[in-house]
Amino acid sequence: MFKPLLTHLLKHLVDQNGWAKAELLPFAGRAVQFDILPASAVIIVLEDGGLALAGEAITPEAIVRMAPTTALRILSGDQAAHRLIDIEGDVELGAALAQILRGLSWEYEEDLSRIIGDAPAHELAALGRNIAIGIRRQSWNLAEMLSEYWQEEQPMLAKKRHVQRFIDDVDVVRDDAERLAKRIEKLEAKFATPSTNESPAV
Amino acid sequence: MSKESTTHFGYETVAESEKARKVGAVFHSVARRYDLMNDLMSVGLHRAWKRYAIDISGVKAGDRVLDVAGGSGDLSRLFASRVGPSGEVILTDINASMLSVGRDRLIDDGMVNVPVLQCDAEKLPFPDNYFDCVSVAFGLRNMTHKELALAEMQRVLKVGGRLLVLEFSKVWKPLAPLYDAYSFKLLPFMGKLVAKDADSYQYLAESIRMHPDQETLRDMMLAAGFSKVDYYNLSAGVVALHKGWKT
Repeated sequence: MFKPLLTHLLKHLVDQNGWAKAELLPFAGRAVQFDILPASAVIIVLEDGGLALAGEAITPEAIVRMAPTTALRILSGDQAAHRLIDIEGDVELGAALAQILRGLSWEYEEDLSRIIGDAPAHELAALGRNIAIGIRRQSWNLAEMLSEYWQEEQPMLAKKRHVQRFIDDVDVVRDDAERLAKRIEKLEAKFATPSTNESPAV
Repeated sequence: MSKESTTHFGYETVAESEKARKVGAVFHSVARRYDLMNDLMSVGLHRAWKRYAIDISGVKAGDRVLDVAGGSGDLSRLFASRVGPSGEVILTDINASMLSVGRDRLIDDGMVNVPVLQCDAEKLPFPDNYFDCVSVAFGLRNMTHKELALAEMQRVLKVGGRLLVLEFSKVWKPLAPLYDAYSFKLLPFMGKLVAKDADSYQYLAESIRMHPDQETLRDMMLAAGFSKVDYYNLSAGVVALHKGWKT
């Protein structure tokens, strides 16, 4: 029931992102499984460069796994999170399809304009964008406030400079301990070897 | 004297040479009310199933498409708008009555660039490796030698081409009693009321039960030479869309 609907949505997304078809065409007929637990879906590339959910009998050539938190980090533009994606099977295919899917964007203003007209769609989209920016800004403010509280008022989080100082101190202790160990080794060696200058007992 | 091979016609067993004639009589009888009955029987779902088949086909501008047993031309019409003026769609059916309905509808819709051809799917009059996509929607079930028809469709496909088989299939088990009641009680009644032909719709219900299930049809397509076959269950398996690739 959901496959036709999701396939139609995927088709719509690819149609809106014209560049994606050319990128997808070399992979026509090939399928990749995306595991973002607990969700899992096998996506197949169609011969017209579109995307669809695969059927019941297809064996994916690659499996792309990531944690939901990784997916959220990638969506928010965190490049470092890409290293946390695990690809099994045909790595080139999996990576290419994941890269293309990341690049797809939904032109919701265009879709909205078909239903309510250009001007109201633009206003509504602008309102939506402003609300999203507002939510993001408020979220940052809240996060900063909490982090300050947990660092200064109710210390639960360590400050960066304190962590760095601690790391430096650990390095000093480690170096000192190594030096001490060497010195003990030398002393042990010295006392274990009998001295040749000692005069015989009379 | 050798005994003639038999096949099924619904729940009846008939001589192979008889089946095409009997199926022809069924479709000749229902041709005029075919679309109305399809809409009534499937509550309009057959349109969504066909549209989904087009989405999955991957057909693009400039492609060559063969619509086998295309009858009233629903798929041909959708394909024609996809392939555009640089592409080619050919509508075929073994039944002249169905084909004339399809041809008239295409002409009424202004689609005069879709050739219409009466031919047997088991002996397709096309060269090898010619089409990018071949489709058969609700037609394979009525063919006498399904293996032969599948092999023919594989033959006329180009390397990289796809066969789409949209057909009634095995419904999800918990729904089977309800589906049986609908098929064997309500369907012939509707057929009698609307198409004035209860027997043809009784045949429809029986032929659906005799048609191979999803996995069996997949195996048949693989045996016919398709290198990869996938299928989609639609409406809980009432219908299945099989897609086979020739490589």
